[in-house]
Amino acid sequence: MSSHAAEMTLLQHFGQQEVQNKPKKHQFPLLKLPRVLLFDCIQNLNIFEIILFSRLSKRAKSIAKRIRWDPLNIHLTSDKDPQIWLKHDTVQGLDWIIDYNNQKKSSVYPVFETLLKGPQAFHSLFLKDNGNVIEDVKQMMEHICEVFRSPISDIRIFEESFIEWIIQFQPTIQCVWIRKDVITSVETMERMLKNITMTEFFGLQPTEIDKKFQITEPIPSRSIAIYNSFWITLPSILNGSNSIIRLFDSNLTAKDINTILKEWQIGNKLQSLEYLEIQTPKIDTFARPDYNNEILKDLNLTVSVDNNGRPNTVNIDNDVWTYTLPQTQPVYNLIRNDGMIGSIFGTYEVFQCGKTRISFYFQVWSKQT
Amino acid sequence: MSSTEQGTSSAAPAEPTTAPESAAAPEVPESFYYVHGKDKVVHKVSAGALQHSALIHGMISNLGYTEEQAKANPFPFENIDGDILQMVVDWCNQHKGKPTPPEDTNLPKQKEKLFDLVLAVNYLEIKELLTYCCKQVAMMVKGKSPEEIREIWMIPTDAEDEAAEKEAKKRAGKEAAGETAAAAGDAK
Repeated sequence: MSSHAAEMTLLQHFGQQEVQNKPKKHQFPLLKLPRVLLFDCIQNLNIFEIILFSRLSKRAKSIAKRIRWDPLNIHLTSDKDPQIWLKHDTVQGLDWIIDYNNQKKSSVYPVFETLLKGPQAFHSLFLKDNGNVIEDVKQMMEHICEVFRSPISDIRIFEESFIEWIIQFQPTIQCVWIRKDVITSVETMERMLKNITMTEFFGLQPTEIDKKFQITEPIPSRSIAIYNSFWITLPSILNGSNSIIRLFDSNLTAKDINTILKEWQIGNKLQSLEYLEIQTPKIDTFARPDYNNEILKDLNLTVSVDNNGRPNTVNIDNDVWTYTLPQTQPVYNLIRNDGMIGSIFGTYEVFQCGKTRISFYFQVWSKQT
Repeated sequence: MSSTEQGTSSAAPAEPTTAPESAAAPEVPESFYYVHGKDKVVHKVSAGALQHSALIHGMISNLGYTEEQAKANPFPFENIDGDILQMVVDWCNQHKGKPTPPEDTNLPKQKEKLFDLVLAVNYLEIKELLTYCCKQVAMMVKGKSPEEIREIWMIPTDAEDEAAEKEAKKRAGKEAAGETAAAAGDAK
């Protein structure tokens, strides 16, 4: 708006300034301000205040939406209570947490609290869990995404209905963690895998579904961490472009792992692979040497005498989660034509029942990393 | 230091760090202007204080009024209540020639006046004061519940907004009908 136009609006406003409902002493008729001034005022609100204001009415929401707020990093999780974590990408050390609970006296909600931990500040807004918290959380997430024009970046799914909701609301998302036993059927698993694109990270905690279920299609995330991963097959890994793969309780055989290593060395597949971790099911302890030999069969390996600059950490989840690798011996190196080194090592867990579980590690690195 | 330099130094008088009083440039007398609001009460304000207002500063910068001319021609701001203009003038005087601090404790405290103050400050284009006022408006709802925010900022509910819209449409319809009827009467 030009300054002249703004002035004309203002002058017109002065003419119309007969406020029918005269404000009380503590009141301020915000919506009677000219738009430019109204925006100037609400731009001073913090994240919680913007959210609370914008939920007061459709008009308040549409006003809040007109402002181009700094994009928010929106993250749904639960730590006993469902929580929505918000932060500006540009501001380090400041988190805004909306927490739904009913541990406080009804009359005190909403409660604002701030916790300082070193250089980190956590502002919390406690809202009452009215018994319909899952729907309340969904509505709140949709509202925040709309007002701040920001997508959800990370969701920890702790209740099954969130899967259908996220498919409808935002089927492409950076990071998804699905908590233990949230998925209870093959149908839900298939629907989730087909309809949600997890660009950065997909994590799945143990889930009890039909043991016959298998997938051969890749999971298109940079990083995957799957517990109870019996359903992930060799083609799913070979045809994928994952950089980080962590499979626990895997049904992949020693021969499958050997194929993965050979294919990686040829270089046509698994070109993006940076780290592979496979935890086998329990095998007979006496069978371990054969198992190891099968994994390393027909590979042109060298034994790594010392570290040689190999990193001892792996970035699992978009710089948020860095994993420190076990320091074990021996370490075998596989060299690809492009000079990349694949280091192979393992750990064992021996059980009293005479069984052993092998954790196999394959770390890709170069002398430059 | 060489001896020559020492000699030179002692021979020549040291350059004065400040000009002697007698040589100081005579202070330019501060010019004053006069403003009044709706209540016609005239306020005498220095040009320095008025510099905060981009609107007034723009108006006076090329006037070259003498004191008498300025007194005889106060700037009328009929759209600003007298007490609001007084607050603005006070603030401009308090902040004359000073850099404005990030937080201003000299803001008028009366919340019921804040609305008119915001409008006036915006009209007079006093940028820093407007920034403080807008912050103060935002501060009104700090730590408040949604219902308290609704009450403080007088935010109608959706139902109230819808009812008001309906009412406005009805009124507009009536007015339009009245105008048509009047036009038809004129035509006869």
